[in-house]
Amino acid sequence: MDESQLIARVRAGESAAERALYDAHVDRVYRLAYRLAGDDALAQEFTQETFIRAFDKLSSFRGDAAFSTWLHTITTTVVLNGLRKVKRFRQREADIDDAHDIGTTQRHAEPDLKVRLKQAIDELPEGYRTVFLMHDVEGYTHEEIGAALGVETGTSKAQLSRARAKLRVALADFAGEWTT
Amino acid sequence: MMDQHEDPKFEQWLRDAAKSYHSPLPTPREEMWQRIEAARRHKQVIAIRPWMRWALAAAALLVLGIGIGRLSVREQQVVRVPHTTVTDTIDALANQAYQVAATQYLSRTESFLTAFRADANRSANTARLARQARDLLTTTQLMLDSPAAQDPRLRSLLEDLELVLMQISLLNPLEDDRDRDLITQGMNQSNVLPKLRSAIPAGPVPVRTEGAL
Repeated sequence: MDESQLIARVRAGESAAERALYDAHVDRVYRLAYRLAGDDALAQEFTQETFIRAFDKLSSFRGDAAFSTWLHTITTTVVLNGLRKVKRFRQREADIDDAHDIGTTQRHAEPDLKVRLKQAIDELPEGYRTVFLMHDVEGYTHEEIGAALGVETGTSKAQLSRARAKLRVALADFAGEWTT
Repeated sequence: MMDQHEDPKFEQWLRDAAKSYHSPLPTPREEMWQRIEAARRHKQVIAIRPWMRWALAAAALLVLGIGIGRLSVREQQVVRVPHTTVTDTIDALANQAYQVAATQYLSRTESFLTAFRADANRSANTARLARQARDLLTTTQLMLDSPAAQDPRLRSLLEDLELVLMQISLLNPLEDDRDRDLITQGMNQSNVLPKLRSAIPAGPVPVRTEGAL
């Protein structure tokens, strides 16, 4: 059965079709949510919210684009809005921690590649980070990214290029690993 | 022509290295599906809201009509055309219904957060707290999508509550004490409870409306 038939059955209220549509897409949605959130509980929360919204708004899906494109638009909206809220909350916690840390000295050990890479990706501006993770890590095309984020394909390409340039600078200590 | 910034070796190395960044766990399909189904069942109860709007609007129009009729009899010398359109009236009444539901929800949330903060001896069960927070979180998110959230102050409060409830719903029993302290400190810092209390109108809390929201 093709996807348009499946969607028609979901619109007709068939719960088995809802489950089939969920099964067809949940892995990719969860993977993207996890990559962006880095936390299983949040990734689950965002994935659930994505499907709840998608099923509720399925009547507004006109089929102009692929269903997966439409679904990933919802996913990125849910995840990015959710992460902004979590970030606000964590910032408050960090402020409290900082207040407690006054007068203490911190020592930073030389981190390994994995730690430095994580730090560098986390420090990318939100748009660069999203495009980088979607394209270079999860394998989305620039067309898919542009549609999901509501930006031009050229913008997606430019953001990826800037993200890579920033990461190259941040990881310059490891240059020997890619030049050999 | 290759862009001056392009470096295929670096890009390949970066792609390989970045695979370890937030590497996803196996998809918990069943758990998530069960929660999606439960949430959608809950939302179907709310789906009667448009019907309620019309019923409320019809009743209100009847009352309005009677009122206008009486006024026009009393004030025959001055004919006043009411500025209120049917749409305005429907919207006003629908918003009124949401406000009632909002007040009831805010009271429940205030009770829950007060109890959470006051529970200094950690007697409350973490799983139960997390479950209650999840229920309230669902309602909070519904309120954020409702006309009640058009009020900027209420919207800001709902966003704060969403954060606090999300943290409580994610409480980890292993780091319970530390997490609870952080949540409580966050609540104190952002004055969530005073803001919440000031948002609840004085007087008795409206009849319970869990079925509607």
